[in-house]
Amino acid sequence: MTRNVFMTSRLRTAVMLAALASLAACSGGGAPTEVNPVTTPPPVADYTGPAPANADVQAFRINLWENVKASNRCGGCHNAGGQTPNFARNDDVNLAYQAAVALVDLTQPDQSRLVAKVAGGHNCWLASAAACGDTMTVWIRNWAGSVAGGGKTIQLQEPPIKDVGASKTFPDSSSLYGSTIWPLVRGQGNCLRCHTPASATAQSPYFAASDVDAAYAAARPKINVDAPELSRLVVRLREESHNCWTSSCANDATTMENAVRAFANGIPVTPVDPTLKLSKAITLYDGTVAAGGNRYETAQIALYEFKTGMGTTVYDTSGVEPAANLTMSGSIEWVGGWGLNVKPGGKAQGTTSGSKKLADMVKASGEYSIEAWIAPGNVVQEDAYIVSYSGGTMANNATLSQMAYQYQAATRSSDTDANGAPALLTRAADEDAQASLQHVVLTYDPVNGQRLYVNGAYTGDTDGNGGSLSDWDDSFALVLGNDPSGQRQWAGTMRLVAVHNRALSLSQIQQNFAAGVGERYFMLFNVSQLVNLPKSYVMLEASQYDSYSYLFTKPTFISLDSSVAPAGIPLKGLRIGVNGQEARVGQAYIPLDVTVGGSNYVAGSGQLLSNTGTVIGLEKGPESDLFFLTFEQLGTETRVYPEPPMPVPPALADSSNPELGLRTFDEINQTMSNITGVPITTASVAGTYDLVKQALPSVESIDAFGSSQQMGVAQLAISYCDAMVEDATLRNAFFGGTPDINTQGGRDAMITTIVSKAVGTNLLSQPSDAEVRTELNGLVAKLAGSCGGSCSATRSATIAKASCAAAIGSAAMLLQ
Amino acid sequence: MNDRKSGAVCLLMCLAAATASAGPREQAKRMHDRLAGVPPSEAVLTSMAADIAANNALAAAETAMQNRAFYDVTLKNFATPWTNRDQTVFAPLNDYSATVIGMVRDDVPFNTALSADLVYISNASGLPAYSAVNNDHYAQAETRGVDLKATLVSRQQSALLGIPAAATAGLMTTRASSEAFFIDGTNRAMFRFTLMNHLCRDLEQVQDTTLPPDRVRQDVSRSPGGDSRVFLNNCIGCHTGMDPMAQAFAYYDFDETQQRLVYTPGTPNAKYFVNADNFKPGYITPDDHWDNYWRKGHNRLLGWGWGTTATSGAGTGAKSLGDELANSEAFATCQVQKVFKAVCFRAPQDNADRAKVASIASIFRSNGYRLKTVFAESAAYCTQEP
Repeated sequence: MTRNVFMTSRLRTAVMLAALASLAACSGGGAPTEVNPVTTPPPVADYTGPAPANADVQAFRINLWENVKASNRCGGCHNAGGQTPNFARNDDVNLAYQAAVALVDLTQPDQSRLVAKVAGGHNCWLASAAACGDTMTVWIRNWAGSVAGGGKTIQLQEPPIKDVGASKTFPDSSSLYGSTIWPLVRGQGNCLRCHTPASATAQSPYFAASDVDAAYAAARPKINVDAPELSRLVVRLREESHNCWTSSCANDATTMENAVRAFANGIPVTPVDPTLKLSKAITLYDGTVAAGGNRYETAQIALYEFKTGMGTTVYDTSGVEPAANLTMSGSIEWVGGWGLNVKPGGKAQGTTSGSKKLADMVKASGEYSIEAWIAPGNVVQEDAYIVSYSGGTMANNATLSQMAYQYQAATRSSDTDANGAPALLTRAADEDAQASLQHVVLTYDPVNGQRLYVNGAYTGDTDGNGGSLSDWDDSFALVLGNDPSGQRQWAGTMRLVAVHNRALSLSQIQQNFAAGVGERYFMLFNVSQLVNLPKSYVMLEASQYDSYSYLFTKPTFISLDSSVAPAGIPLKGLRIGVNGQEARVGQAYIPLDVTVGGSNYVAGSGQLLSNTGTVIGLEKGPESDLFFLTFEQLGTETRVYPEPPMPVPPALADSSNPELGLRTFDEINQTMSNITGVPITTASVAGTYDLVKQALPSVESIDAFGSSQQMGVAQLAISYCDAMVEDATLRNAFFGGTPDINTQGGRDAMITTIVSKAVGTNLLSQPSDAEVRTELNGLVAKLAGSCGGSCSATRSATIAKASCAAAIGSAAMLLQ
Repeated sequence: MNDRKSGAVCLLMCLAAATASAGPREQAKRMHDRLAGVPPSEAVLTSMAADIAANNALAAAETAMQNRAFYDVTLKNFATPWTNRDQTVFAPLNDYSATVIGMVRDDVPFNTALSADLVYISNASGLPAYSAVNNDHYAQAETRGVDLKATLVSRQQSALLGIPAAATAGLMTTRASSEAFFIDGTNRAMFRFTLMNHLCRDLEQVQDTTLPPDRVRQDVSRSPGGDSRVFLNNCIGCHTGMDPMAQAFAYYDFDETQQRLVYTPGTPNAKYFVNADNFKPGYITPDDHWDNYWRKGHNRLLGWGWGTTATSGAGTGAKSLGDELANSEAFATCQVQKVFKAVCFRAPQDNADRAKVASIASIFRSNGYRLKTVFAESAAYCTQEP
C-alpha cells in the first residue's frame, strides 16, 4: 500500500542501485592492473537511412541515438540484426525509435530501463556504472525536453519491517583493526600497492595506510560487522575478482572474510534496552527516495556530481560529448553522500583535450556560468582556486576562487589581461564565504560582466561591462581545487560542480539552489504497535550529510492508511537510535511535546512535528546503520528518562602563591596623593600619571613585577614630591615648614616626617625606622655633598623632593 | 639614579620585613591596603587595630571600606574589566562600573545586578548629564577625580535609556555593556561575557554535547569545512546551552550610528538571522523566550535556583534571564571568588581556601547578597595570615 505525497521534484537513481552498479562496474577480473576502456565513441558512418518520421524521433535521434549507436556503446550489440532490443540500430532511426520507446520513461528519465541496465553494470562504457547511468539519464531527459522533470507525485513505500536488534558498533580504537585486518591488507593481501597514500598509484580508500588510525577510519565503511561476508572488502574479492593476490579469488575472499570475522568477533554486542519504547527499524536506503527539485540544466556543458565514490576518476555526467572527465591526484578523497574532499596537495584535473569543449562552447555563446556546491575548509585561505580553467598562475580563462571570507572571480576577456585581471571580489564586510556548504555561482555575459551569487542571492558586487571571450585558450585544463601548477591550493569539500555556456539568470540560479545537492530519503519508522493504529509511521526526511553524519529533518506523523484519523495521541521526547542505542549527540527532538491528531493531522500528508533538523553521527555507513526511534511518550506508552545522579565536581589542584602583592596603578596614584596631599587632578601629576599609567603594575601579582614598572613608580613619585615641595601650602602641610637641609637637626626633622607619612611607624611589617633613616640620611648627605652645609633654597628643595620620592617610590609604599 | 637605587634597596628590605609577623596593627594596615588600596591614616589604623585585637576583624574591614578609595579605586578597578571585550582595567569609568560601585555602597542585593532597573550616576556639579549616546558623564567624573562614594545616586535605567522598565536587565543593559556586547555579532557575546564575568566560567568549561540541539540557530554550520565531527564534538557542546539562553537578547542591539542601545519589542534583531543558509533546518528565532538547558546534564552543578524557587529555568527577555543567572550558586560563588582574588591576591589555592569561599558564598546569600560583607569576610580571612 502506498500513500501519495505531492512533491515538486524528480526522482533520482536510487543510491542502492548506484552502489550495486558501481560494484559491478569495477570488477577487474583478477588481473593485476586494469586497462582504461576507450570511452569516447568511435565515429559512426554517416546515417543514410530514412529521415526521422516526426519531431519526437528527431529529438530521440539528436539526444539519445547519436550518443548510443557507436560500436563501443550500445550499438556494439543492439544494432540492426544484433541483439534485441535494437534501439541503437544505425540503418533506420525510426525503427530504433520504436525499440527505444519501450525502454525509457520520459516523465521519470532516471527510472528508465536503459538507465537501470547501464547503471547496473550492463556493458557500461565507463569504469563507473553510476556515471553511465547518470549520463544515460541526461540523454533521455534531453530527449524528453520540458516534458520530463516536472512536479510529480512521490509514492511513499512501506519499508520492510525490521526489529531493533542487538548490534555491534565500531570501537573507537584502531587496535582491533590493527591486529586483524590491517596485517592482511598490508601483507599478503597486497592492497598497499594502491590503497595507501604513499603508493605511486594511490587509490582511495586508504585502508592499507601505514597510519593504522587513518587506515581504520578508511576501512570502516568497507566492513560489515554484523555480516562479515557482506563486507565490501570481501565482496570485492569474491564477486568482483578485484585484484586477488592468488589464482583463486574465492580463497582470497575467504581469507579476507576470516580476518573481518575475527575483527567482528572482537566487538561485543550492544544489547537493546528492553524498557525503550521503540519504533521499527530501517536503514537510510530502506527509505523512499525524496529527490530535490529540478535543476536548470539546459545550457549545462559539464557536470560533476562526485557520485562514483571510488577510484581516481571524476566523471563528467553532463551528457555533453566529449565528457571532460577529471583525474584526482594528491591529497583528495571521496566524501560520503557524494562529494570530494580537497586537502592541501590535492586537485582533480582534466586533460586539455577533454577540457577543450568548454572553450569551444563558451566562445560560441560568449557567456558562461560556473556553479559549485562547496564547503570551504576554512576562511583564512587566500588565492585558493575552487574551479579554474587555467594554464597556470599567470594565464586563466576562468577562475572561481576564495580569498578568506570573500569569493573572487576572474574571466579572461578582451577587457582583461591573460589572467582575467582585474578580478571581481565580493565585499569584505559581507563575509560571503563561510566554512559551511554553500551554493556559489559565477556568471559572465558581455553586458553585465561577472556576477557572483551565493546561496541563491546576488552579492551585489558589480564588475562593469564584460568583453569578448574570443581569446579563451583551448589548450588550458579544467581543474578543481587548484590550478594546473599546483600553486593555488583550495581546501574544502565539493558536492557538485557544473559549467554552463550561458549566464544563468537569478531565477535559474535560485532554482538550482532550491534543488539542493545530494540524495534524500523519506524514512518511515513504523509505530503502529505503539499507537495501535494501522500503518502508522513517524517519518523523517534524511540524507547523508557528509562523510561523518546524517541529516534528519521534518519529523512527521503519518498513517499510510487513509481511513485512519488519529486523535489526541500525545507524543513526547522523540529520540533517534542507531544500531541498538540512542545516539548520544544531536537529539534535537527530546523537547518535542505535541499532540497528534485533530485539525493538525491531514490525511495523506500527516502532521509535521517540528521544523528543525539535526545531524546524527555516522557509525557503520549508510548501508548498515540501522535507525529507529524511541519515545518518552507515544499514545499510552511511556518511558521515564530519569536524570542521572548529580555529577561530582572536578577535583582542583592545590597551588601555592605569594602572600604579598603590589599596589596597582590607581592605588599607587591614590596612595601617593594621600601621602603628599597633592590632589590627583593636579595638572602636573595627572600628566605624569597619564604617561606612566600603563607602565605601572596592573595586577597585584608580585611575580609580574619588572624594572619598567619601578621606573614608572619613580617618575610618578618625583612628580608628586615635586608638586608638593613647590607648593608652599602643601609643603607646609607636609613638612610643617620648609625643610632645613643645612643642619642635621633639619635633616632629621624632614626624614622623621617622611618616614611617618610614607612608611608608617610601629609597623613590624614595614622596614624599621632605623633602616629607613639610615638610607635617607645617606641619600641627603650625598646630594648635599656639593654644597656642604650651605645649600641654596633651590638645592634644598631638590634634596627634599629626592628624599620624599625615595620613600614614596619605594617598596614600603608599593607592597601590600 | 640615587632615588631609584634607594627604592630598590628598600624594596628588598621591605620584602624581608613584611613577612616578619602580623599583630593587630600590621593586620589592620594590610587589611586597609587591600580593601581601600591606600594606607590608613594613623587614627583609622589605631581604630581598626583595636577592633582586630577585640577579635572583630569584620568591624575593622567595615571601617576600611569607609575610605572613598574603596569606591574610587578598588571597586572601580574590580568592575572595569567586566565592561569591555578586552577585559582591560584601563578603560574609563562608565555606567556599568559606576552601577557596581553604587550597588555596593548602598548594599543593594547583588543578585539583582543582572535584572534591576537601576543605574548610578554622579550628582557632582559641573558634569555633563548622563547620556544614552555617549560616556562623557562618567569619563569626566573620573578625570575630575569626583568622589564616587559621596556623589553617586541611583536612577531608573529605563528612564535614562528610554527603554521599557521590563526591558532593563541591570548591568547587562547598561550603555557600556550594550556597546561592548550587543554591538554587531549575534548577541551571543553578551551571554558569554556575562557567563565569564559573573559565573566565572567560559564556555569551554560548561560545554555539554548531550543536550538537545533544537535551539541552535541557523548560522552555526553543522559541518564546518565539510566535517560534521567538528560540530558534533565541539560546537554543539556550547551552542546547545548558549543559544536557547542568548535568545533572551533577541530584541536588543547597539546601534553604531546612534551610539545607543536599541530595543525592538516583538521583533528579533536581524543579527539573529545572519548566515541563515549555513544550516537551513536550524532554529529560527521567533521571540525572546529563553530556556536554561543547563538545568539538566552536568551543568546542574552550577546550582540553579540556589535557595530560591523564584526562578524556573525559562522566561522571556533579558531581565528574567538575569534573575536566572544571578540566583545560581555559581553566581554567588563567582562574586566571592572575584573578591577573594582582589583581596587575597590569589585564587583559592587549597581546600581551606575553597571551603572558606563556599562558606562566604553562603553568608553572602543569607546576608541579602551584600557584597561589602564578602569583602570584609575575605579581608578578615586573608589578612590574619602571618
